[in-house]
Amino acid sequence: MSKFMNSMRGILQRSFTLGLSILMAILVGSIIMLIDNHNPIEVYRLLLEGAFGSTRGLFITMQRATPLIFTAIASTLAFRTGVFNVGVEGQFFIGAIVGTWVGYAFQMPAVIHLPLTLLAGFIGGAAWAYFPTVMRQKLGVNEIITTIMTNYIATFLISYLTNYPMRASATTPETPPVQVTARLPQFVEISKEFGKGSQAHVGIFIALAVVVIMWFIFRRTKLGYEWRMVGLSHMFSEFGGVNLNRTFISGMLVSGGIAGLGGIVEILGVWREYKNLFAVGFGFRGNLASLLGGQTVIGSTVAAIFYGGMESGALSLEWGAGVPRQLIDIIVGLVIFFMAAEGMWDFLRRRKAAAKSGGDAPTAGQTPAKPAEKTEAAGQAAQAK
Amino acid sequence: MDGSVLLDILSRYVFNIANIQGMLRLATPVVLAGLCALITDRAGILNIAGEGMILLGAWFAVAASYFFGSSMMGLLGGIVAGLVVGALFALFSLKFRAHIIVMGIAINIFADAATIFLTRSVFGVAGGFTDPKIVGFGAIEIPFIKDIPILGELLSGYTFIVYLTWFLVAATALFLYRTPWGFHLRAVGENPEAAETMGINVQRIRFLAVMASGVFAALAGVYLSLGHLQGYVDKMAAGRGFIGMAVNTFGGGAPLGVFLSSLLFGFVDMLGFRLQAERIIPIYFVSMMPYIVTLAALTYFTIRRENARKRAATKKA
Repeated sequence: MSKFMNSMRGILQRSFTLGLSILMAILVGSIIMLIDNHNPIEVYRLLLEGAFGSTRGLFITMQRATPLIFTAIASTLAFRTGVFNVGVEGQFFIGAIVGTWVGYAFQMPAVIHLPLTLLAGFIGGAAWAYFPTVMRQKLGVNEIITTIMTNYIATFLISYLTNYPMRASATTPETPPVQVTARLPQFVEISKEFGKGSQAHVGIFIALAVVVIMWFIFRRTKLGYEWRMVGLSHMFSEFGGVNLNRTFISGMLVSGGIAGLGGIVEILGVWREYKNLFAVGFGFRGNLASLLGGQTVIGSTVAAIFYGGMESGALSLEWGAGVPRQLIDIIVGLVIFFMAAEGMWDFLRRRKAAAKSGGDAPTAGQTPAKPAEKTEAAGQAAQAK
Repeated sequence: MDGSVLLDILSRYVFNIANIQGMLRLATPVVLAGLCALITDRAGILNIAGEGMILLGAWFAVAASYFFGSSMMGLLGGIVAGLVVGALFALFSLKFRAHIIVMGIAINIFADAATIFLTRSVFGVAGGFTDPKIVGFGAIEIPFIKDIPILGELLSGYTFIVYLTWFLVAATALFLYRTPWGFHLRAVGENPEAAETMGINVQRIRFLAVMASGVFAALAGVYLSLGHLQGYVDKMAAGRGFIGMAVNTFGGGAPLGVFLSSLLFGFVDMLGFRLQAERIIPIYFVSMMPYIVTLAALTYFTIRRENARKRAATKKA
């Protein structure tokens, strides 16, 4: 019971920080809008209305959120095994291109073709994660630098593929369209009314299935337990009973695979062919969504849907009020700044605690690592008195 | 490919003054991005925000040059932008303990969006901004040196930022290896606990290093928007912030190493343009090479370090 209370307290604390961060980002965002001669209240109203206020808006939200759910879950899985997978971006691309190839190059019935294409995307993403993973685990090479490098190699490789061997159009670098048997239907194709004006597609169900499976694995299976333990062991370094290498590598490969699956789902549902560099930034936004959601499966899913909603709202804002849609990335960037700044909130908390205990501020200079912070907290506390 | 073809390619693409000049020009923003990565890396900080810092530096340089009508004001505008971003980055990641990579990604996404937003709201155009009122840097001919055959052509006729970059490479090397501050910086990067015990203020050194990295990145941006082009184009950093990390790794964290490996990148860039024009091989493989070489170098250095560590351990035993 007390464990439950503790975890509830953790969630509450995190939600509180997130709420405050969003509030501060909204405030800073408002200042930017005022300077830019827009009425912030009006802009935020349009933003929410665009994202969640109409059926069409909701469907566009769904469309934008689908790839982000994959990349956010991929990031979360990597975080849990103790790795910052900046490579989600490249794995998403590689999964998309490998899947696209299987999607257009073969002819077979849909029952085989669609699953095979999705599997190809998963394998493509996992394969792209393999090298940085092994480098990290066997040699201890920093995975952040290696995945940044492999992201670039991925973009050049794909530029080559879409410009030369896989190119189908004389005017633009893009592949042939995937066969009808490999496509994920859009809602508007199933029924004329449902999902009109959007390209939302049934890939959202695949995304949600991945969420449920990952949640189940983490909560209920030995594998999920081992992944979490490996993540912790990167911090505590001492560990027994689990084959560390194998568990770690499997975690990273599945993370890459989920990213790749996201890439091919986006192709099969929305684009139906690979346009060179069709979706730069889904990987990085997935990293951010995972962080916003506290690196938990459910949290990052909610954050990805919210992020998708904000993008959908920003699109309608751009069409409707002429406010550049980049505004939303500015605001999300600000939310991350404020949320990541644990120390800023500690500082407020400590100040409150110090005020409560009668200005009994910690002595300055006791811990050499952060003397400036402590003295400042003490000084502030004294002023508050 | 037989020998004569290779010779032909070498003489056309490598031993050719125009090409070497092109290489030096294209390497300049990479050197600056490399110094940005170097100075933080040496302080033990993994700064992936270089890309965003370059964009902000480039944008504010153009804005300042446009409004004040002077390239030096543009330079100043870029530097101030770099200092401000660097200071904010340092404040949040060092003092408020935000995760450094998280901050890096957030700054990159923020800067990308903010510069596009600013171009649209300040100048009312989308995609980029050029205007005759933007004053860029002109080529500088160095007296006497410009008259020396070959050497004159190689060393003279670049913009101010190119010379500033060469100076900064030398200055950074002197700073790192010949001044007490440089010694402190390296100590902080190599062993922060020991540095702390020696009485070095680790936090302050890191704070200053991050601010310096902001200035280096901003200078790369200034070069792109006022030296290379005269105007701002969305996403004009084009990955140079990350390439900076690559050249720093490849150059072994030394200023001269950064300079030389940037030349390699500049050369590949230049070669890419040429090969594209002549349609010999797809440029994408050429563009990919530096990253593959960096990965190989990273693997090699790590294996060598591991082996040395193992040898030391067995000797002790």
